[in-house]
Amino acid sequence: MRALSIASTGMLAQQMNVEVIANNLANMNTSGFKRQRAEFQDLLYQTIEQAGAQSSDSGTILPSGIQLGAGVRTAAVYRVTSQGDMSSTSNPYDLAIQGPGFFRIQQPDGTDAYTRAGNFALSPEGQIVTDKGYVVAPGISVPQNALGISVNAQGQVSASLPGQTQPQVLGQLELVRFPNEAGLNAIGDNLFLETPSSGSPQSGLPGASGYGTITQGFLETSNVNPVEEITSLITAQRAYEMNSKVITAADEMLQQTARMGGS
Amino acid sequence: MDNTLLVSLSHQLAAYRSMDVIANNIANVSTPAFKKEGVKFEEYIAAMKPSETETGTQYVSFVVDKGTVRDLNEGRMDRTNAPFDLAINGKGFFVVQTPAGERYTRDGHFQLDTDGNLVTSDGNKVMGEGGQITFSPDDGDIHIGADGTITGKQGQLGKVRIVQFDNEQMMQKEGSSLYSTSESPKPAEKGVIQQGMLEASNVEPVVEISHMIEVTRAYQLTASMTQSQQDLMREAVSKLGDMPNM
Repeated sequence: MRALSIASTGMLAQQMNVEVIANNLANMNTSGFKRQRAEFQDLLYQTIEQAGAQSSDSGTILPSGIQLGAGVRTAAVYRVTSQGDMSSTSNPYDLAIQGPGFFRIQQPDGTDAYTRAGNFALSPEGQIVTDKGYVVAPGISVPQNALGISVNAQGQVSASLPGQTQPQVLGQLELVRFPNEAGLNAIGDNLFLETPSSGSPQSGLPGASGYGTITQGFLETSNVNPVEEITSLITAQRAYEMNSKVITAADEMLQQTARMGGS
Repeated sequence: MDNTLLVSLSHQLAAYRSMDVIANNIANVSTPAFKKEGVKFEEYIAAMKPSETETGTQYVSFVVDKGTVRDLNEGRMDRTNAPFDLAINGKGFFVVQTPAGERYTRDGHFQLDTDGNLVTSDGNKVMGEGGQITFSPDDGDIHIGADGTITGKQGQLGKVRIVQFDNEQMMQKEGSSLYSTSESPKPAEKGVIQQGMLEASNVEPVVEISHMIEVTRAYQLTASMTQSQQDLMREAVSKLGDMPNM
């Protein structure tokens, strides 16, 4: 009986759906987090009778065939890369990207990772680093005696130093973008890695054509919409329940069959 | 005599078939643009020998499944806000180039591949009016209009191709939300593209669950009928065996 295995593919799919929703909700307050969605597709079909096959010599054809489906599969869990809201933090090292682009982060092993979470801080050496202590490319050092730093929309970091009227330019942050942002590989800690499907990163300066601008003192919130997630959660839960009902019904039919020959 | 069992058997097989179709509908309740299916049964009439008191040919009807009929009604529209999620409001299909040839789909969840081509989640290219659709990162935010016109920062980039067919029932499902057909596609006239939306499955859970209950009950009835038929035969055999020797 196919109904049993078909319904189990449905239950597995809905389970995955709930897991994705749970992760979105858990990351509601993670800055720079992009919500995910599970996408489903129908499985293969078994054609028992071909639609359009001839039903007589005089050329009449079957208007509809018999095709039996085998259930559902998760085709992809993709990231919705829409912009999150901007929340003001007044922290000078909190930077938000308005528009496309990622900050490039140098990991301890020398490879690059990418993030949109701009909650940066200073390292003991005065470098701008992430909350994990990884250096934000290109590696800008702030002098110890700096009275304050300012970052403009183009990512230029300047510090006001005692005894100087003009702020001193320390460097310029760079942004990278990918042909296919949704193809990046998330490794946790708000970091992403390049993959064959994301394409290779292209560096540019904030504010250049095709890159976003930087806003100081703000963080990009996650783009999770709790109302939307809860609604999908309810739908997923109900769908799971219905699939389990199908299993019960199919089981009842099989029980009946087993009893038929008896006594 | 044996016909009772055989007629019941034909119904039981039909019930199994219905159950499979219902299970597939319910499993695909969250599959974008899934079209639910129903089973169509027909009567198959066979002649049988008349019983002792009757004259003329008697007929008995078996059940045969004659086809699965697709309900082509549109599903509701779900907002996803993903820039490459497209829904067709009205008749029409997107054209997808697969290794096996052109296929058609209404599941408009697309994304970009490494080269900036618009592809399905299986990586097959989505066709525009003039072949594949390619974006460069300089195009910025993409806007796709109701007629499928794609506009980026640098102006018009092409047009999403949507087609329609004379007889959509003749299309074969291929899995992965793709359809194939031997008919030649025509440009869709009434399909309107909505960006940031996906067409949901048109499966109505209430209807499916009530069908399911119906099928289970009908199956139970047939099963108990088969049972009583068996009891009847057993009783006849034992009664006849009890006849005193003459």
